Amino acid sequence: MRERKITLLGPEGTNLTLLVIFLVLNFISWLTLFTLSDGLSLDLNNSLFRQIVFTLLSVILFFAITYISMDQINLYTFPFFGLITILLIFIFTTDPKEGVRRWYDLGVIDFQPSEYIKIALVLFISKCFVENYNKVYIGIFSLFSISLVFFQPDLGTTTLLIVITLSMFLVSDIRIRSIIFLLLLGGIFFFIFLEFGLINQYQLNRVTNFFETVDFAQSQSRLAISSGGITGQFFEVDKINQIFIPVQSTDFIFSAFAYQFGFLGVLLLFGLWIFFFYRVARIILTTNSEFEKFVLAGFSASLIFQIFINISTVIGVIPVTGMPFPLLSLGGSSIIATAVIFGIINRIFIENNVVI
Amino acid sequence: MFFQQKFRLLTTLIGLIFLTLLFNVYNLQTSDREASLVSVNKQTLDTFYIPSPRGEIFDANNNKLVSSSLEPHLFLNLRKINANNRSQYEQYIQYNFVDLGEDLIDEIFESEDLLVRIVNIQDLNFDNRQSLISLEAFEIFDFPVRKYEYNNIASHIVGYLGEPSFEDAKDFPLSINPNIVGKSGLERYYQDDLAGQPTEIIFKDDEIAQIIKGTPGKDIFTSLDIKLQTIATESLLQGIELANEKYETKNKVQKGAIVVLDIRTNEVISLVSLPDYNPNNFVDGISQTDFNKLNISGAFINYPIQGQYPPGSVFKVVAYWLAEQENIFPEGLSSRNQRINCKGSLSFGFDDGSQQVYNDWKEDGHGNVDLGSSIKQSCNVYFWDIALKIWRDYEGTTAESILQQYAKNLGFGTATNIDLPYEANGVVPDRELFENWAISQPERVRPEGWLGGDLMNLIIGQGAITSTPIQVANAYRTLISGNLSYPYINKNRESQSEESIGVTEDFVNFLLKDLNSVTNEGGTAHASFSILGNKVKDVGGKTGTAQNSGDKNNTSWFVGVDSVSNPRYIIATVVEEGGSGSAIAAPVTRRVIQSLREMEITPVKFGEITE
Repeated sequence: MRERKITLLGPEGTNLTLLVIFLVLNFISWLTLFTLSDGLSLDLNNSLFRQIVFTLLSVILFFAITYISMDQINLYTFPFFGLITILLIFIFTTDPKEGVRRWYDLGVIDFQPSEYIKIALVLFISKCFVENYNKVYIGIFSLFSISLVFFQPDLGTTTLLIVITLSMFLVSDIRIRSIIFLLLLGGIFFFIFLEFGLINQYQLNRVTNFFETVDFAQSQSRLAISSGGITGQFFEVDKINQIFIPVQSTDFIFSAFAYQFGFLGVLLLFGLWIFFFYRVARIILTTNSEFEKFVLAGFSASLIFQIFINISTVIGVIPVTGMPFPLLSLGGSSIIATAVIFGIINRIFIENNVVI
Repeated sequence: MFFQQKFRLLTTLIGLIFLTLLFNVYNLQTSDREASLVSVNKQTLDTFYIPSPRGEIFDANNNKLVSSSLEPHLFLNLRKINANNRSQYEQYIQYNFVDLGEDLIDEIFESEDLLVRIVNIQDLNFDNRQSLISLEAFEIFDFPVRKYEYNNIASHIVGYLGEPSFEDAKDFPLSINPNIVGKSGLERYYQDDLAGQPTEIIFKDDEIAQIIKGTPGKDIFTSLDIKLQTIATESLLQGIELANEKYETKNKVQKGAIVVLDIRTNEVISLVSLPDYNPNNFVDGISQTDFNKLNISGAFINYPIQGQYPPGSVFKVVAYWLAEQENIFPEGLSSRNQRINCKGSLSFGFDDGSQQVYNDWKEDGHGNVDLGSSIKQSCNVYFWDIALKIWRDYEGTTAESILQQYAKNLGFGTATNIDLPYEANGVVPDRELFENWAISQPERVRPEGWLGGDLMNLIIGQGAITSTPIQVANAYRTLISGNLSYPYINKNRESQSEESIGVTEDFVNFLLKDLNSVTNEGGTAHASFSILGNKVKDVGGKTGTAQNSGDKNNTSWFVGVDSVSNPRYIIATVVEEGGSGSAIAAPVTRRVIQSLREMEITPVKFGEITE
């Protein structure tokens, strides 16, 4: 990598495309939240204001991470993974909130380590692959941290972590039959948990009930998306009250977005993400660093499957899992974690001299 | 090793999924759109709110004063009732729940709500419940049941619940949906904390589409001692009974108040108001006649914080403090130990040449009195002399209101800001107030305006001054502790500012000694306290007998301190139309002190008649 000047906006060569996509996606989130809230007020209880504050914080974080080179990230991977895993273990000592232990209460905000295990796991597996460790051990370590999330319980993040792990194994030099073995192993674990009653009945019900009744929230969100049409209702706020969608500003925000901005809006949203993934894929194919290839693939898998699971939930093709839409859903933890991912990707772009 | 080939394959797969999802959305937004718009327009979504269990209320020893529990209730889904099945459901309810009158059943079916609560089915067994919900318009939901464990005791502190009125809805907009609000007491003051978030039942047309569980309210931990509260209530009742026995007055004595404050923290240990009510009677609604009866008796007034009475001689402590602090003593005296000769009356002339005679309550006079003994014997003449001194030295200057300023520094004239609703301010009259009244309420003041006689009235707690029992208790507490702050019941109430009033330790010791003399030999309250035997040497207080206009009997006051060597509690007792403070309020307070100091508790006995 050639030497770069340090500027106010990080090292010279911050990737503008990446930054613009990040900001536009955040802006889309503000617009959607604007139609859902009672306008903007300078109060942290106001959801739109809160989101704007978190966006600004995340932009700062994005630039801050740009200063950390990939070699340093590689170096700190194991301590980082270890730290998050320990935080995941100690979360079982906290008081449950509504039946789940997912957050550390830090006063103004809640710290949610399962957001960061998504990043830590990608870095961990990438490093292990590059160092050529035994794949079975890698699988067991990954499975251990995933099971910690599973017992919080957090079914959505668990699924996502499994998908991340599987896709990273898939693009490695592992043989297909090893993956099948891994899947079988996971299946056996699942049934052992089931047998010993370690799986929450509530979690099972969520999956099994789906086939009997169509979730009310999903049928309503289908109505909302459908009402949007091609051009959308465009900042319509009265009639949407006739459609009832719980947690509309978080997990179901895509339905509000599609209602207000229609299929054209959806195309724009998809377009931005596809362009982003296209740029990332090009680096994956051209970079010389194995570590960077795996990291980029893992992060892409993480973001893509969050989007897939979220949209599939909102249009009612899979059961409700409670997965936020990255950068669209209301929620500080999610934005901050996504900003970290964007920051690392930005660093990789810089190191590969991709600046526009 | 990274496998480019497999990566390309995976990318293609992902692209395909992306396209499928996009196609799905496209279909929804184009071909399904018309049908969706129609069903959106047709669907009516309504929400019914079930209140969450309110926070529970505890006393200082973790006794539960007010509890909440969820019990299953039968509800009727009125959207499913139509002309065809109405009579069938009516008969079913009448037959199964015979306690419900016909009027009530009519009311259920005439309601405009989505769901109507019919009856608590906690005692029905499983089979019966199953057979109920086999009928499609019946639903079973948990509904919170509020129970006031001590019935009438502390009713004014905890308050009671009811449906929000128009005004309530303005103060507590969130109470509209669950349709329940605290009407008084802590239930009202901490309404938003106690109420929690109601459970939402969302109807799509006539079906229940979703239930969003609410969150229960926060518990409140109070500084009250329910055992003491019970004894204080008993004592006040005995005092009231005694007053009715002893006096032949036109009005029946029935109203009174007791306040017990912790001197160090200003926590409210006990707060009694009589007459009281049973908050449990309001839980399922109270009949209009019962409500009116309570209302006429004055049971809804919280006398310790809303009763505004002239304080009478208990107010002398203000002038006592002023005399010491400002060195203002009767003409010719320069210290607390010098005496005047009280002959039972005071005659004096003003600059305008008018001559007046004021008579002390004790016609023969108190003899030679100094500052301390005029508290002990409640001599009026001594304090009138102080008032005259102020008037003659300062009339017409800003300093003429120095007594009022001292009273305000102890909290008179403004609500104490205790955490209970509807607290009264009381009145500390001065020239300015009289001028305002001359315009707004001319019947209350003489055309001459503020005169020296008004100041003389004020210094012995008579005339236009009014104060609430808690103001008086807080004033004594402030003098003894040296800090003005607000009394509070909720232990977790946000921290308060303490304002030093700048009293010296010497002054507090003198004050306690003089308060102690009141309950000892020769003091106005000795008759009521002598039963304590030796221990009387460690208690103290001040009697007050405030005159009322018209044919109302005097207001009986006593402010007691549990111990002069180690003062912990201030007790203020008022019996409306209870006559002499030494005779009624003093023995009531004595009984409360017996409980506070864990002595043997003896019945309230009529004391000596003084003022």
